[in-house]
Amino acid sequence: MTSGSKQETLQATLQTLRTSLPELRGALVATIDGLPIAQSFSDNTDANRVAAMAATALGLGKRINDTLGAGELTEMSVTGADGQVFVYATGRKGVLAVVTPAAMNLGLLNIEARDAAQTVALVL
Amino acid sequence: MNAPLKLVISGPVGAGKTTFVQTLSETEVVSTEADATEDIGKATTTVAFDFGTLNIDGQELHLYGTPGQDRFDFMWDVLCEGALGLVLLVAGNKPQDFLHARHILEFITSRNPVPFVVGVTRQDLPDVWAPQDVAAYFDLPVGQVLGLQATEAVSARNVLIRLLESQLAKETV
Ligand SMILES: Nc1nc2c(ncn2[C@@H]2O[C@H](COP(=O)(O)OP(=O)(O)OP(=O)(O)O)[C@@H](O)[C@H]2O)c(=O)[nH]1
Ligand SMILES: [Mg+2]
Repeated sequence: MTSGSKQETLQATLQTLRTSLPELRGALVATIDGLPIAQSFSDNTDANRVAAMAATALGLGKRINDTLGAGELTEMSVTGADGQVFVYATGRKGVLAVVTPAAMNLGLLNIEARDAAQTVALVL
Repeated sequence: MNAPLKLVISGPVGAGKTTFVQTLSETEVVSTEADATEDIGKATTTVAFDFGTLNIDGQELHLYGTPGQDRFDFMWDVLCEGALGLVLLVAGNKPQDFLHARHILEFITSRNPVPFVVGVTRQDLPDVWAPQDVAAYFDLPVGQVLGLQATEAVSARNVLIRLLESQLAKETV
């Protein structure tokens, strides 16, 4: 796949995710060293920053999982009073971050976002 | 027994921060390397931190290596919280990185004015800047800038000893 069509596929994957979960504040795909590849945010969130932070979260989550013997990291989340961020490992090369409002149907999110994470892993 | 001292190791990409922590730690290092997708002259880069510990003269030291890339600057803040000293590393054969090193130093010390020393790595390689020349570049006293080989324990340890001495000097003033 050329990098142009790769980017388009990733962008389409994020769009699908946002269409099925319209309450999402945004979603982003980044490399595991923290560079944004594709992004879709409703507000003026700084994608460069979220990409770096997603990579940091994933890197740290992996070490925590190693230490606790919890196996390969699949996802981690950060929760605040007004929202949540879910970070999904997408194969060896990337990370998917999904930003949600506080009141979110997590069952639905998990189904849709894990699906998207799988697609992203295949594309990268 | 003294409480552990938290020290931060920072500096530009490839300065040798991860190497430094790995050379000195007496416990298994927690590291967060990720494959680099850009050409940064090496295969992996730190995305969160390196953590290692060692003991010098009965004083336990906790070393936190930072990422070097600007996009991770929020980690410089996070890691410097509660730190009692800073080692700023620069690769002595990459003078093009000195300005960035200065920027990192100012970023950190303007938020948290900790005692620091500058370590000039790669002293084992040809065409490397001598520590006194780097001191002149940074406008620092020569005593605050040391040369080292980050892959070798004695010279790396000397950098920490100098930092500890400078801290003691401050405390007894
Ligand atoms: N010969 C020699 N090589 C060094 C020295 N210090 C570091 N290196 C090498 O330079 C590279 C530096 O890599 P790291 O220790 O990962 O650099 P870093 O500062 O942690 O970089 P980032 O995490 O990407 O910001 C490694 O390949 C080291 O082996 C030194 O004093 N002498
Ligand atoms: Mg490193």
